[in-house]
Amino acid sequence: MPLTGKGTNTRSGLRRGEKKTGGKTLLIVVVISLALMTIGTREAPAAVLGRVRTAFQTVTMPVRYVGSLMTAPFTAAGNIMANLTSDQETLSELKAENQRLLARNAELEEAAMSTERLEALLALQSSYSLTSTGARIISGSSDSWAATVIIDKGTSSGVAVGMPVTDGAGVIGQIIDCGLNTSLVRLITDENSGVSAMVQQSRAQGVLKGTATGSLRLTLIRTDQTVEAGNTVITSGLGGVFPKGLPLGKVVSVEKSPGALYYEIVVEPLSSAESLEEVLVITAINDAQRATAEDIAEADKQETSGLTKDDALEPLEISSEDDEESTDYDW
Amino acid sequence: MQVNDRNRDRRSIGVLAVVSLLCQLGIAPAIALGNGHPDFAFVFVAVVAFTIGGETGVLAAFFAGLVFDLSSTGPIGLMALLFPIAAYALGIEVRDRIAEEPVMTIIPFVIAAFCVAVCYNIAMLLYGVTDSFFDALVFRALPTTFLTFLAYLPFLFILGRAHGGIRVGGSSGKHRSRYTLGNR
Repeated sequence: MPLTGKGTNTRSGLRRGEKKTGGKTLLIVVVISLALMTIGTREAPAAVLGRVRTAFQTVTMPVRYVGSLMTAPFTAAGNIMANLTSDQETLSELKAENQRLLARNAELEEAAMSTERLEALLALQSSYSLTSTGARIISGSSDSWAATVIIDKGTSSGVAVGMPVTDGAGVIGQIIDCGLNTSLVRLITDENSGVSAMVQQSRAQGVLKGTATGSLRLTLIRTDQTVEAGNTVITSGLGGVFPKGLPLGKVVSVEKSPGALYYEIVVEPLSSAESLEEVLVITAINDAQRATAEDIAEADKQETSGLTKDDALEPLEISSEDDEESTDYDW
Repeated sequence: MQVNDRNRDRRSIGVLAVVSLLCQLGIAPAIALGNGHPDFAFVFVAVVAFTIGGETGVLAAFFAGLVFDLSSTGPIGLMALLFPIAAYALGIEVRDRIAEEPVMTIIPFVIAAFCVAVCYNIAMLLYGVTDSFFDALVFRALPTTFLTFLAYLPFLFILGRAHGGIRVGGSSGKHRSRYTLGNR
């Protein structure tokens, strides 16, 4: 009997009395169903029935996908209606939850950034085998004449005047004053600061000085040395204050005035004062981190090479305008 | 003398099966009330049972149940057990009830749909999928029955109209057809 009804409601009169209600068929399919259920509960998911199910769902996936595309507009409309009919209490709760999540997100982002900085510190400590203690910058300069910061470690933590201070990128300064629980750090950008440095690529030795404007100048590099923009400036280890090889900055520009003996080299610090938060205070340096006799001889050679007798200079002295606050201490 | 056109029955069942399958896989997941979804597979079972019934209805119901089980996460064989029983009960008269009395099929449809939904969800309770009888009954069986009834209405309307034009006099009887031999 056709479902569409295009034909007529016909039945052969010869078969009128015959009705196959399907009782026997029902019995058979019930037995098969029970057998399937029993097998399904006993076998492992990856067995035959499971694989058949997986295959069936894989084959019918396009149908599900098309169905979800077709019903997506209605689902969206339903969501809109639900949102429109949301009561004030629900909206208030959602707003409060949103505020809470925003604050939590900010905390987590800050924690993530702090973690990155600390990981960089650890990497530096590990790479250069530094004997150091961690500290946190708690305050910046209180006047515009000095580039200094205050850290939260003092003599009670084993910190002393003259100890170098680094962040994750490299050297940032030197302790010039210690209290019980805090210390004052002069940054390398301070105009009273001077650090024995050299160009990593050419091993040209000089002194890295800060300026009143907060920039860095690499001084005492003779014009017969090789220095190029982009070169890395590192500590030379001379003087025994800063460990040898720690990054200080990158050469930005190299200028040579006619007849000048030394280059005018501008160096960019690796870290800006505003971004400093966690730092390392280097509490001790070993022999490997000090300049060797060969290093010292090389420095003297560079200083005296190409000079006439009249041009001979006094041995290099690293000093600042304020001798009492020299940054190259040998403690 | 007209004879039953089994090929036409098969074509009709095939078309209905495809439509029901597409609805079950594509549309049913997107329609929800509580935790219930419309059961287009049962709509197929009921339509075949009401229009053809008998052995054909039971067989169609078994395969529909099997497809339902394969497309769901429940035990394979559970709906394949419930659907044939419902189809046997709905199609025991072996006549086209949708053609003769479409509206009268609603009550047995709803009863059968509810019984199938309750039995299925109790079975899932016994399987440990859910642990609340109240949840199985109120949030699953009842919404499923309601949504399945709503899904049945379009089929009933279309098939009832398709058959409506061929009624020839008389009140609805158990064996009423346009071309028959002999009297009733």
